[in-house]
Amino acid sequence: MIQQSTQPIIHFQGIEKSFGGAKALSDVSLTVHRGTVHGLVGQNGAGKSTLIKLLAGLHRPDAGQVEIDGEAYDHLTPHLVESLGIHFIHQDRLLVPSFTVGEALFLGREPRIPGTPFLDRRQMQRRAQEVLQRYFGLSLPNSALISQLSTAEKQIVQITRALLDRPKILVFDEPTAALVKREADLLFTLIRRLRDEGITILYISHYLQEIEALCDVVTVLRNGRHVATKPIAETSAAEIAGLMVNRDIGDLFPIREKSPGAALLTVEGLSATGRYRNVGFTLYRGEVLGLTGLLGSGAKDVLRTLFGLETAEEGTVTVAEQAPWRASPVQAARRKLALVPEDRRRHGVALDLSVSENTTLASLPRFTRLGLVDRASEAAEADRLITRLQIKTAGREALLRTLSGGNQQKVAIAKWLSRHSDIYLLDEPTVGVDIAAKVEIYALIAELAEKGAGIIVLSSDLPELIGLTDRILIFFRGEIAREVVSDTITEDALLAEVTGSSEATRYVG
Amino acid sequence: MSAVPALGAERRLVEAASRLALPVALVAVFLLFSALAPGFLAAANLQSVLVNNFTLLSIVAVAMTFAVSAGGIDLSVGTAVDFASFAFVSLVLAGQPVPLALAAGLGGGAVVGLFNAVLIAGIGISPFLATLGTLFIGRSVQQLLTNGGNPVYLPPAGVPESFHLLGRGSLAGLPVPLLIAALVIALAAVILARSRFGRVVTAVGIEAEVVRYSGLPLKAHLAATYVLVALIAAVAGLVLTSTVTVYIPNSGNAFLLNAIGAAFIGTTLHRHGRPNIAGTVLGVLLLSLVANGLLMSGLNFYWQQVGTGLLIFTVLALSFASRKV
Ligand SMILES: Nc1ncnc2c1ncn2[C@@H]1O[C@H](COP(=O)(O)OP(=O)(O)OP(=O)(O)O)[C@@H](O)[C@H]1O
Ligand SMILES: [Mg+2]
Repeated sequence: MIQQSTQPIIHFQGIEKSFGGAKALSDVSLTVHRGTVHGLVGQNGAGKSTLIKLLAGLHRPDAGQVEIDGEAYDHLTPHLVESLGIHFIHQDRLLVPSFTVGEALFLGREPRIPGTPFLDRRQMQRRAQEVLQRYFGLSLPNSALISQLSTAEKQIVQITRALLDRPKILVFDEPTAALVKREADLLFTLIRRLRDEGITILYISHYLQEIEALCDVVTVLRNGRHVATKPIAETSAAEIAGLMVNRDIGDLFPIREKSPGAALLTVEGLSATGRYRNVGFTLYRGEVLGLTGLLGSGAKDVLRTLFGLETAEEGTVTVAEQAPWRASPVQAARRKLALVPEDRRRHGVALDLSVSENTTLASLPRFTRLGLVDRASEAAEADRLITRLQIKTAGREALLRTLSGGNQQKVAIAKWLSRHSDIYLLDEPTVGVDIAAKVEIYALIAELAEKGAGIIVLSSDLPELIGLTDRILIFFRGEIAREVVSDTITEDALLAEVTGSSEATRYVG
Repeated sequence: MSAVPALGAERRLVEAASRLALPVALVAVFLLFSALAPGFLAAANLQSVLVNNFTLLSIVAVAMTFAVSAGGIDLSVGTAVDFASFAFVSLVLAGQPVPLALAAGLGGGAVVGLFNAVLIAGIGISPFLATLGTLFIGRSVQQLLTNGGNPVYLPPAGVPESFHLLGRGSLAGLPVPLLIAALVIALAAVILARSRFGRVVTAVGIEAEVVRYSGLPLKAHLAATYVLVALIAAVAGLVLTSTVTVYIPNSGNAFLLNAIGAAFIGTTLHRHGRPNIAGTVLGVLLLSLVANGLLMSGLNFYWQQVGTGLLIFTVLALSFASRKV
């Protein structure tokens, strides 16, 4: 534990912000102290990202002001904020895929060769490598394309961009949402180190264990209001969760009768060079099957292959009793497969379509009469799912862009519920989803299974995987290394299997 | 506290204002030329605006709206107009019955659409480049077919009466071309805004990958869109030919820039800035009025283009400026 400094570095005073009549923040006052890791939690739509975007100068408050280092500002701009040494790893700021690492790192502040208009590429490479080596023990060539990087590497690029500027304050909006545990652990180590170097950290997350382990202080927002700020030592994950939702969450995972029925999906001898080898398994009706593995273990590729987004070179996929097939997404959906993809912003939902248009996109035939969309029944379906999944939105006509991250994810799931699929392929289904909504989604998965659907969950959230599934297939280097019954494995044991270190741990103890 | 709902209302007002740019421009232009150009307001003149300027351009612009909705553009709409015209004239010249010649005209347009569909949906070339290629190829093909671009006239005598119906006929006192345009506009509006096909096309334009990940046939929709665009443009070609009884190679391109302009001006009318038929039609009306008004004010022909360009800028700028607030 570090010494709690009493010096305020950011102070929000009486912040109000609405979007078209809907309040996102009301009368929020909050102080962040220098050299601390300050957690910010709250349900989906509580206003966390909005508060951060105000600080970033991306939104303007309707009322109130922000004090930074004792100086009051009622009009922050991104440029001003950056010059004050505040940097952001935003939840929804994507790097441009066609940029190189160097371009992404130095965009807008490229060093020039003195006295010339030319970019000093050598200096760019040197400075980037310095930071990458120092903080990540990593070297990435500046010429690598962003699109070739893994999610974790992309994030490293974002953090590196900030570190290049010797920031005073670093703000993370749900940074671990897309990371596997080991990568997340690296990030925590980094954050502690940055704090010890005197940098103030604002940290948003839905993982309360993370908040407990990492933060010095935590602030809870609920419905746009500031409900509490507490030193972490004086509170607990349970108390924080209670403050977030203002009610008791109860059991995270539903109790479910585990009685798998007939075979629903049979995969045999599936192979694709460089991605996976000889993968075979059967999914039964009423079963929730977990897949997990490190990045590049092949689990994700298998899932994508099942939905026809990638092709296998060998092997067969059989759905129910129908003939084996070479899938395309169209055929997969026809055979009643559903995929909730990991990257919701690019694949799951269309940000400039409305909630209702997104919800029915995969199931339009159900709402079509004589080629025309029946708007009344479409609206009814959208409303039903908004209520069912507790999607927080101004209404079914609101563009998805205006929903908070977690609520967008709920729409990505709603889309397939509307299709009445048989086989659900869920790729990190609860990323960015708050704890109450998670419980809701888990209950939904249980209900789907009880009604005879088969569900495959790919998740790097190991407690989720263990609590939710019946069986888990652990992928390692492109093969199913092991199959475990979920009830019989602990998180640590599962982690050891996932990372391939189970042999080692067995010898050690 | 009371300031907050007011703020919401203000925002809605701003949103409404940004959508008003096009209607306001329309009224302003109308009033301006009524004052400036003697004869502008005359019934005969306004009718000529509708028949001569509005009709054909509105059909082509409606076609273009589908391509823009799907996130693309069709630079070869004029080629479809020309191919339809050529096929139509050729069959009539060969003594074939008019209905068959009309069908062949639509077929001629469809060939252009299918060619685009193969390039865009099949091979995956970007719509801009694909249809630019089609535009060039279509131009050469027409020159080859007509000995370097000679018009193909229909002999006034040897043409059946029914040939003229489309372009010069009238029904219940209304000119047939206008009725055809109205029909095309109405059908297109229903297809784009209300049909499942229109919904998916809109989604393709907004986020094609999401359409694919939703298990919808992305390529089929792209292909169908470009065939539909060409078919609608072909209708304009048929009406045009029936009116002027001549096929002039590469004359269809005259519609291209105005059609694009109208489709984009039209997006300002939509709540979310999407391409839409009503907006496109108002856009065409605006461009037609301006063209006619400038002519009636006795302005040099070459200045008309400047006027049109300024107008497109103004509407888009007004709309975006008020959106930014
Ligand atoms: N640009 C916008 N237009 C309209 N409403 C918005 C906009 N941005 C956010 N909102 C609304 O403001 C509220 C707060 O959203 P915010 O993104 O801050 O939530 P969050 O706490 O970050 O949630 P999550 O955990 O899901 O990311 C939500 O109800 C959201 O719908
Ligand atoms: Mg957020």
